[in-house]
Amino acid sequence: MSIASKMETLKPLPTFNPMNEEQVARYEAEFREHCNKWGEILERNGERMKRGEYSLHWMNTEGANWGRRAKPSSRGLTYTDVNNVAGYGVVPERASCLSFAPRGSVRDRYAAEMPVVDDYVLLDRDESWADNVVTLYEEAKARQWNATRDIPWSELERLPEDLEKATCQLCTFLTEVEFVAGDFPAKWIYKIPQEFLEVKSFIVTQMMDEARHQEVFRKRAIAGGGLLHASPGFEWALKAIIDAPTHTMGTFLLNLLGEGLVLTVFRSGEMIAKTHVDKEIFRRCLQDEARHVSYGVMELKNYLDHAADRDKAVEEMHRFADVGEQVILTAFTESALVEPIAILLGGGLDKIDQGMEGQGHLWKASIEEYLQRCERAGFSRRERCTLPPESMWGRS
Amino acid sequence: METQEEQSKRAAATIAFPSIEWFRELARLMRENRAIHEHLGFVDCVARFTVLDGGVAGKPWSAIVTFEEFEAVEVIEGSDGEDGRADFTLEAGLGSWREMIENIARGRGRPDLTHTLNYLSHMGTPFRLWSDDPLRRDLFFRYNQSLQEFFDASAGLQTIFGG
Repeated sequence: MSIASKMETLKPLPTFNPMNEEQVARYEAEFREHCNKWGEILERNGERMKRGEYSLHWMNTEGANWGRRAKPSSRGLTYTDVNNVAGYGVVPERASCLSFAPRGSVRDRYAAEMPVVDDYVLLDRDESWADNVVTLYEEAKARQWNATRDIPWSELERLPEDLEKATCQLCTFLTEVEFVAGDFPAKWIYKIPQEFLEVKSFIVTQMMDEARHQEVFRKRAIAGGGLLHASPGFEWALKAIIDAPTHTMGTFLLNLLGEGLVLTVFRSGEMIAKTHVDKEIFRRCLQDEARHVSYGVMELKNYLDHAADRDKAVEEMHRFADVGEQVILTAFTESALVEPIAILLGGGLDKIDQGMEGQGHLWKASIEEYLQRCERAGFSRRERCTLPPESMWGRS
Repeated sequence: METQEEQSKRAAATIAFPSIEWFRELARLMRENRAIHEHLGFVDCVARFTVLDGGVAGKPWSAIVTFEEFEAVEVIEGSDGEDGRADFTLEAGLGSWREMIENIARGRGRPDLTHTLNYLSHMGTPFRLWSDDPLRRDLFFRYNQSLQEFFDASAGLQTIFGG
């Protein structure tokens, strides 16, 4: 049977999403069209193979950046080293190549036969780029750690029940939130074209970091007593992140605001840790979180700096922040978060009031840090921030 | 009873805090402990460590330490007007520095729960972390474990304190 005949016998793949007749017809026509395209390539390849003929066209370096060799720096061969080689480091303002062909390869001459990846929709560099993304990617790889091996689990001590429950509840909260910090980038990574490979690479490290955070807090809770309560307030904040209308808005909500506050929780976790094991966990996590915050700040800055209509872009961000701040506040006022931290800060259930005082101080500092990060991004939120500058505790 | 030879040997091995020599010893130990730092990952920042009453006549004294990859490549004494050079400043009074360093020494390189860099600085007292740029301040968090190890190595020194 010829390759062309084989092509004709191929049936469209089953689909798992319900479709009406029109959609089915469109899908089947597209399937046939795609089959014909790669079928032609297969036929051409098959004939050449049968003739026992070499092509060797790939050895032709015309149009390639051949011979410009990347040189490693003292820490190895980084993306920066590679991007310094002419022909590889220019990141286009808008992606025009929507296949998987790598930036800097010989690819234009094949464009007519290449598939178009329909999912690549974040075509503008400034919808995902940040000027520090290459540095952060290299740093993320260099500072990976292993939640199974690098935490001295065998030193975990038994705590009084109130402190253990508070620790496990805090870990339950963190387990709950960490996966959205992985799911949000996962929702967007496949929409970013290969042209922005540095962003995609960094986002992968963020997903790995979040997987590890979820892992380490789940393990800590189950090793110490168990997971405790999930909370609706957390869930609505997390849903707002995953449902954010644009990548930049979601990154603002997740990386800049949400992870900025979680960075404070991690720092507090390290401070209030009652065992060296917990100290090590929080210290490791806060390093990762600070990288994510840094990306969030610079991504927003880059987006606003390059917006065609900056005033409009800023106003849209304000509109989004008005909602985002309140929904994040919903999580950060949940008793299942506020109370365990207060108990750990105070040193016991009987000292929860002292803990709330300390938490008030931390809230004030966190909001100031959030406003500073917004300003660093060129997004002045100080006059419009809807988050209370002081803790709401006892202020009826 | 300690002999004169032992006494002079001990005196020679002691090193004063705060001093550039003390921080340079930490830089040397960081090179010696490279394997630990390689495991933690590279660290790229310029940190200013200030002893608020550690200078002449109780004035502030600072060391500016430049970290690159797995080493502290430069340790210099900070002077007025050099604030912009450092990514962040970590400052405290001599008493607080002393308490931290002695605690690390007692723990043989591991501070107790209430004497880590983050613990001491998180509430803004007794240590204060600051920077004009929030992104540069956040480097203290991004490299926190490495900075902790940098100071934990001070357990290998015989530190004497001025003031």
